[in-house]
Amino acid sequence: SLTRQPEEVFDIICKLGEGSYGSVYKALHKESGQVLAIKQVPVDTDLQEIIKEISIMQQCDSPYVVKYYGSYFKNTDLWIVMEYCGAGSVSDIMRLRKKTLTEDEIATILSDTLKGLEYLHLRRKIHRDIKAGNILLNSEGHAKLADFGVAGQLTDTMAKRNTVIGTPFWMAPEVIQEIGYDCVADIWSLGITALEMAEGKPPYGDIHPMRAIFMIPTKPPPSFREPDKWSAEFIDFVSVCLVKNPEERANATDLLNHVFIGNAKNPSILNYMIQEAHEIRETQSYRNISTTANVVGLKQNITEESDEEVALGNQTMVQCTDEGTLVPGKGGTLSGSQSGTLVELESELGTMVINSDVDEQTMKRHATGSTQGAMNYRPLFLAQFDKKDELKGNGVTSPTTLDGPEMSVEEQQRFQSHFHLQLNQANPAPHHHPPPQHDYKPQFHGPFSDGDFEFLKYLSYEELQQRMVTLDSDMEREIDELRRRYLIKRQPILDAMDTKRKRQQNF
Amino acid sequence: YLQTPQHTNYQPHSVLVPANRYLLEEVPHWLNVYFKARPDLDHKLKWDMFRLAELDCYNGMLTRLFMQEMENIVMRYECYRSALLVAMQKFVDNTSAVNKE
Ligand SMILES: Nc1ncnc2c1ncn2[C@@H]1O[C@H](COP(=O)(O)OP(=O)(O)OP(=O)(O)O)[C@@H](O)[C@H]1O
Ligand SMILES: [Mg+2]
Repeated sequence: SLTRQPEEVFDIICKLGEGSYGSVYKALHKESGQVLAIKQVPVDTDLQEIIKEISIMQQCDSPYVVKYYGSYFKNTDLWIVMEYCGAGSVSDIMRLRKKTLTEDEIATILSDTLKGLEYLHLRRKIHRDIKAGNILLNSEGHAKLADFGVAGQLTDTMAKRNTVIGTPFWMAPEVIQEIGYDCVADIWSLGITALEMAEGKPPYGDIHPMRAIFMIPTKPPPSFREPDKWSAEFIDFVSVCLVKNPEERANATDLLNHVFIGNAKNPSILNYMIQEAHEIRETQSYRNISTTANVVGLKQNITEESDEEVALGNQTMVQCTDEGTLVPGKGGTLSGSQSGTLVELESELGTMVINSDVDEQTMKRHATGSTQGAMNYRPLFLAQFDKKDELKGNGVTSPTTLDGPEMSVEEQQRFQSHFHLQLNQANPAPHHHPPPQHDYKPQFHGPFSDGDFEFLKYLSYEELQQRMVTLDSDMEREIDELRRRYLIKRQPILDAMDTKRKRQQNF
Repeated sequence: YLQTPQHTNYQPHSVLVPANRYLLEEVPHWLNVYFKARPDLDHKLKWDMFRLAELDCYNGMLTRLFMQEMENIVMRYECYRSALLVAMQKFVDNTSAVNKE
């Protein structure tokens, strides 16, 4: 069906969200009146690859995997037409309600998710991007696996690719280490996703992704922050997913027989949560119509404006990605949203409440919002000293350290789910052009010289604190510099390879 | 130094996505030097002289060097972070000692 123009076939209703690869819209199939979701992905080079991946997705036919109907080319965009899941992703629902899920809800969602994984794994397909953001719920509460954005059939070509791609916080140790992996890599990610649904973010989720990358393979498997709050069955379920040695890790079929999954309820128990999320969405769009209309003072298509709002909730953090390190550029659609909307939305961003029993502790722990961040930094930070044992030992701080206080909870979530490692990408991220040669200056002097921390003795508490605040961004500058050098050094090799390939084709 | 590196086959049979082929390969010294050097002289290296498979290998190795250096950076900052924590802890200890008196 690549022949007809997609807009003849579909009416775009509104924007549903935005991910690392493109935007997703709700659409109406004109002929049948069926509601669908369409993901629009800008394609630059690897058409063959993409077409192959789509044909793989189309082969999947399971009630636990989002159905792919087909694709169209429209200018430079590829439109991927898929099943519409009315309730959005599990992470959307958590973000909208500002609530994590209960054990019953989690078991129910995981049960469907495992059936989807079992389906894929029996066909030797690895999903490779399992996380709450890629588990979609339809309006009846059935969970479906979505987004094979990075999934691939395991063919010979895969061997060639050998790129580390994924979202680091959910990545299995063997994937990070590049020592080879198979389907149970998804099971590790599922364990992380279970923790994400219970606690609102994946383990290490509040530390710099680059630190997380090196911690995941070296540290013991993560577990619950507050084990007392959870049943023995749930804790056991997570622990059998998060076994570091892939050969000893359970597979999807094993896990479907786990007691915790046996506790799964009928999907209708999710109705309340879905309804609540739906209402919040509606209110947000409504509020947005009024604000933007006032701010911009233009008569604009109301439907379009309300879409913008929904989209904004899912906006990528342009502010946080502009260092560009390893984050693929996005269309930069943020400019399209009026500042009035942004302010309005910001007040909505708050703390994620762990379940409904809001004990003060939990609130405090999660209150790392951007606005008060800098001011609250001291007391919050000092609270971490209670975990002294974790600080000493290996010199690595506890995963709960309050890094990046300039990031709000919401921003962190976005960052987490959209931070994709794409080191080997043939084309560097569009937003991050490798600068021309003369731009190469390894001038940045870090805040310290190696191994010598004597000077810290002479600093005031405030100065130390200030250094702690800028630590991550200092580190990022160094990483960014390194990355620039890498891109510069690699380019001539890639060019030579290109030339050779072309020559080969000509003969 | 232009010998083609042999690919070591490092993969348990059950693995569907093979290991990075250049993971255990020793990176030639000159590639290390190239990666660290200022880029002014880069044009002197005639990459066209290599075969495609060699280029592919050097490309993979360069990525590995990049990851290694990234790890160095992260670990240096880990040390720095702990040093900062220790220094800050001293202030806290002093304050509580004063309060007790
Ligand atoms: N089939 C669908 N039905 C309904 N909503 C969808 C569908 N697919 C995606 N969405 C919505 O669009 C959002 C963006 O999806 P997308 O897959 O592009 O990004 P993501 O899952 O957030 O991140 P990533 O690109 O890393 O997977 C989702 O969070 C979800 O809210
Ligand atoms: Mg997705």
